[in-house]
Amino acid sequence: MEQAIQTVIGGLLQGSVFGVVALGFSLVFRVTGAINLSQGAFCIVGALAMYSFEVSLGWPAWIAAAAAVAVTAAAGAAIGAATFVPALSRLPVSSMLILTAGLLTTLEGLSLVVWGSQPYALPPFSGEAPVTVLGVRLPTQGFWIVGAAAAIIAGVWFLLMRTALGRGLRACAENPTAARLMGIDVPRMTLFSFTLAALIAGVGGIVVAPILSFQFDTGRLFTISGFSAVAIGGLGSLAGSVAGGELLGVAEQLAAGYVSSLFANGIALALLILTLLVRPSGLFTARRTRREDVRDEHRIYHPVVRLRGRRAVVFGLGAVAVLALLPWIVPAGLMSSIVITGILFIGVLGLDVLMGYCGQVSLGQAGFMAVGGYTAAILATNYGWPPLAGIAAGIALSLACAVALSLVTMRLRGHYLALATLAFGLLVDSLTVGMTETTGGPSGLVGVPSFAVGPLDFGSPVAMYYLVAALIVVLVLALLGGIRSGFGRALQAVRTDQTAAAALGIDVPRYKMAAFAISAALASLSGSLYAFYFHFLSPEMVGTARSLEMIAMLVVGGEGTLVGSLFGVALLTLLPTIFQPLALYKTLAEGLLLVLAVRYLPGGIFGALAQRFLNPPARAAGSAP
Amino acid sequence: MSAPALEAVGLAKSFGGVRAVDDVSFSVPEGSLTALIGPNGAGKTTLFNLVTRLYEPDAGEVRFRGRPLAGLSPAGIASLGLVRTFQSARIFPGMTALENVLAGAHLHVRAPAWRQMLWLPAARREQRELVRSADALLDLAGLLPFRDAAATDLPMGAQKLLEVIRALMARPRVVLLDEPAAGLNDAETAELASLLRAVRSSGVTVVVVEHNMSLVMGVADRVIVVDLGAVVASGTPAEIQGNPRVIEAYVGREAA
Repeated sequence: MEQAIQTVIGGLLQGSVFGVVALGFSLVFRVTGAINLSQGAFCIVGALAMYSFEVSLGWPAWIAAAAAVAVTAAAGAAIGAATFVPALSRLPVSSMLILTAGLLTTLEGLSLVVWGSQPYALPPFSGEAPVTVLGVRLPTQGFWIVGAAAAIIAGVWFLLMRTALGRGLRACAENPTAARLMGIDVPRMTLFSFTLAALIAGVGGIVVAPILSFQFDTGRLFTISGFSAVAIGGLGSLAGSVAGGELLGVAEQLAAGYVSSLFANGIALALLILTLLVRPSGLFTARRTRREDVRDEHRIYHPVVRLRGRRAVVFGLGAVAVLALLPWIVPAGLMSSIVITGILFIGVLGLDVLMGYCGQVSLGQAGFMAVGGYTAAILATNYGWPPLAGIAAGIALSLACAVALSLVTMRLRGHYLALATLAFGLLVDSLTVGMTETTGGPSGLVGVPSFAVGPLDFGSPVAMYYLVAALIVVLVLALLGGIRSGFGRALQAVRTDQTAAAALGIDVPRYKMAAFAISAALASLSGSLYAFYFHFLSPEMVGTARSLEMIAMLVVGGEGTLVGSLFGVALLTLLPTIFQPLALYKTLAEGLLLVLAVRYLPGGIFGALAQRFLNPPARAAGSAP
Repeated sequence: MSAPALEAVGLAKSFGGVRAVDDVSFSVPEGSLTALIGPNGAGKTTLFNLVTRLYEPDAGEVRFRGRPLAGLSPAGIASLGLVRTFQSARIFPGMTALENVLAGAHLHVRAPAWRQMLWLPAARREQRELVRSADALLDLAGLLPFRDAAATDLPMGAQKLLEVIRALMARPRVVLLDEPAAGLNDAETAELASLLRAVRSSGVTVVVVEHNMSLVMGVADRVIVVDLGAVVASGTPAEIQGNPRVIEAYVGREAA
């Protein structure tokens, strides 16, 4: 009994911080209509800054805390002013989601450069000795956490509901155009909400840091917990955010205490799915009828790049010739990285079908790589299955996961798939780390055989290269065939306007599901090949960082072009290989490139090249027959 | 006599306290070109949204060729042959004009996705045939010069015409057009009028919400007048023009 109470109290403490992060989500969402995935990263920036000031520099705790909060808020203000605010008026909401995924990666990369990859811990503010109340031992830090959370909640509520500034913020949320006409400075309000959200995340991170161990990438756990909490409680509802956070915190602690800590992430996913099934608008918000006759995405930034007829055939044959001759051109030392580029490209190709053509954001593509990779590798290594059968089993399992996730999310609009895939990816992360006996745990699965079909062995880089290149040619041709026909048109219609698509008889959920299935299957295939090629698979090779990296590769290379992402994959795979000392900066560079590409390079590298050299946008006058 | 192409019985819909549509009944005969007119805010678009089930009606029902539409999804309604356009031209960005029109043919694509992916001859032949009929429609609407341009680069009027022929590409039995002439210049309006006449003479029933009176009086053979969420009058254009309640709805009651 006492243990149960302790567990629940631990859950409430953790839940308070989830609630604070969720409050930040709600605040930014209410003012801008956008989801800010970088929210959780500000918790860790705050905690790491606190460590530097208090432990490294030896400042008194309260000065260190004040300075750390100031640093976090300043970082929030700078990042908001440079990226989020100017992008908001130009980009569709789904691109804002990708932009903030880029900000999350950037902040993680920055923390990695400044603080390294080791875990940190902070001393409690008021000593280690717990206080005993009615026979229950409470950690003193708990009072700080609950106190800070209560102060933040009360402050935000007062600000929004009782001040003129709050009225302005709420007006922006209701109708930005009307608010602007009424003389409200919408960009300033946006920046204010973004900065305030960063500040409260920083405070939350600082007060919770003493009860956990944290490192540069812990922020994404706060992002997922806060995002789940807000989806459970109801986006935009302040009370709902806090209640959702507490619910999630208690459920996670109970699961960790009584089942296994492996499934703590699974609980977030399960609660989330349950909420979406029962009450998609969240537990604490009234159901609102949304206007169905207005468009989902007002702005689309893709340039239309089309290669047709003979020209397309010439370029295609040229590309195949280059692929065939590549092993003779590049130095042997680089061959291995090129094979990896090809293998990752297969996974990113799937992501392009889902994101580029169907407009659905997945933040868990590497989760499917892990499912495919581990399934194939374990079956081949421990049970002697032929690699092809292992790959097929992996794809089947990935498809099952994809169908389960999409049954819940496909009927809903908004970013539920992004949320569900992020939670899925983190669940797979913790399973691959935790199920040590099957997966080899954090140190990875060793002794995976080479890919072989009967007597044909693809152990050498060159053999694997030709296998992967041939697969890519076949896959690109197949997808191209689908994209240029009815299938692709239906996907692209769903991407920008689901209501208009349905009015033409397009079964929207079915096409979203098909795109998701293709993306999961290709990720799974890519993961299996990855394991067979390395003879090894570890959780970090196919973890959430990889998912975010794949999004960066896709957007930097060029969404919605099938082949464009090859530029992004090659850039982000080959550069760190060629310039080894830069490896430390890889995450930071990925984040920055993603943010810059979303903001300034519509259509990515491929789009820019194509518009420059191949296909100046067809103008009415120029294309008359 | 066979069932009307489209029939609404006692439709009602409130938003909060506002009765946007209040006990509306009307019927559209097969093969007619019916115009739905009325002042701004009369509830015309809401009526369209109820008919195509973007909104669930509070009361009443809609029958399409005698078949009640309750319980069908918007996509299911389209697959019966009832296709609509939207007030703000909702062409698909990121696609060319031709691809937009082709997207309209979604219900008539027979080759399954895997055949398209394998580039099988049947799928390619079908694609060529669809492109041919899309080209014919683009030509009919005078949009052929824009064929391969990004749809969002088209002038506003051309985008609206594009949306109309995209709906026609679905080969509907009944097509609902929500203010197709809004934002069109005179030349484009004339283009639209001849397009509408061509559509009707091909046997498709047309229902059009429109403000442009000269267009309505020129092409419609039946007019339904809506005001304050209710049907005020219906009849031939000539009958409607003389109806005092219609004049009242448009210019207001004379001070007595």
